[in-house]
Amino acid sequence: MTDKRKAEEGGLAPWFEAGRAEVPAPSGDWLARMEAMALAEQPAPRPQQAPDAGAAPRGGWLREMLGVLGGWPAMAGLVAACATGIWFGAAAPSGVSDWLSASAGDGISALEPASGFDYAMLGL
Amino acid sequence: MPYDAMSDTSDESLLAAYAAGEPAAARALTLRLGPRAFGLAMRMLKDRAEAEDVAQEALLRLWRAAPGWRMGEAKVSTWLYRVVSNLCIDRMRRRHGGHVDLDAVAEPEDPAPSVERSLQETARGTALQEALDRLPERQKQAVVLRHLEGLSNPEIAEIMDIGVRAVESLTARGRKALEGLLQARRSELGYDDD
Repeated sequence: MTDKRKAEEGGLAPWFEAGRAEVPAPSGDWLARMEAMALAEQPAPRPQQAPDAGAAPRGGWLREMLGVLGGWPAMAGLVAACATGIWFGAAAPSGVSDWLSASAGDGISALEPASGFDYAMLGL
Repeated sequence: MPYDAMSDTSDESLLAAYAAGEPAAARALTLRLGPRAFGLAMRMLKDRAEAEDVAQEALLRLWRAAPGWRMGEAKVSTWLYRVVSNLCIDRMRRRHGGHVDLDAVAEPEDPAPSVERSLQETARGTALQEALDRLPERQKQAVVLRHLEGLSNPEIAEIMDIGVRAVESLTARGRKALEGLLQARRSELGYDDD
């Protein structure tokens, strides 16, 4: 009890002390009912998130490979080069063939050990 | 988590845990706040059945307020005392049409302790309760909160929705009235021997 309160009580202090000593206590039965009510009124527990749930697919082998190659921009370049190589290998435009013939002559075929398809697969 | 053993966990933290669905928090809060709500209601109403009803209603309101409780805005115990106090005042007004009926003051319970001193203490507590019941309801409320429940004047002001000065005035008038009411019983209850 604070000194201020004690000073306020003055001559009534013994009466208040007796009053404070008599704490009205609820019955055990009532407390049990209150506990049951508290549990009945309680909101459902919040669903717990599984640790790293949903992160596993994003961190798989594809993401690792992409990281090694330089990400999606590098992959796009690789795919474009691959497609161009296949196209050249399957049906090279005559203009390109002429240009190659004019600039390098027939020797080009002798100097080219790999085909356009091979270059495409190498991503060059 | 065994909250019962964690007496240093604040009411606010327990209420947050209750709102999060932890059953241990529900049990701990019931054990902590239930007796306090009942005790205040009992002191105000002097009727066990009514005190149980009031305390139950106050606790129910607390559980329903828990999910939207904003931490740091109000003390849980102050909020609960306020609800209990208001419910008690409502009942007292309904019961007596706004006035305390002196004939309705219940007879003191038969004290069980056999030691004379304990009997005397019980008699003193009962005499105080009887005198409190004769005060105007707001004075009684302020005196009970201040001198029996041990709350500070700012807390009582919040509970009663009045200023601190008004609380001081109410408790001062209440004490003065109690002195007059209890004066006649001093020798009867052994205070002249103390």
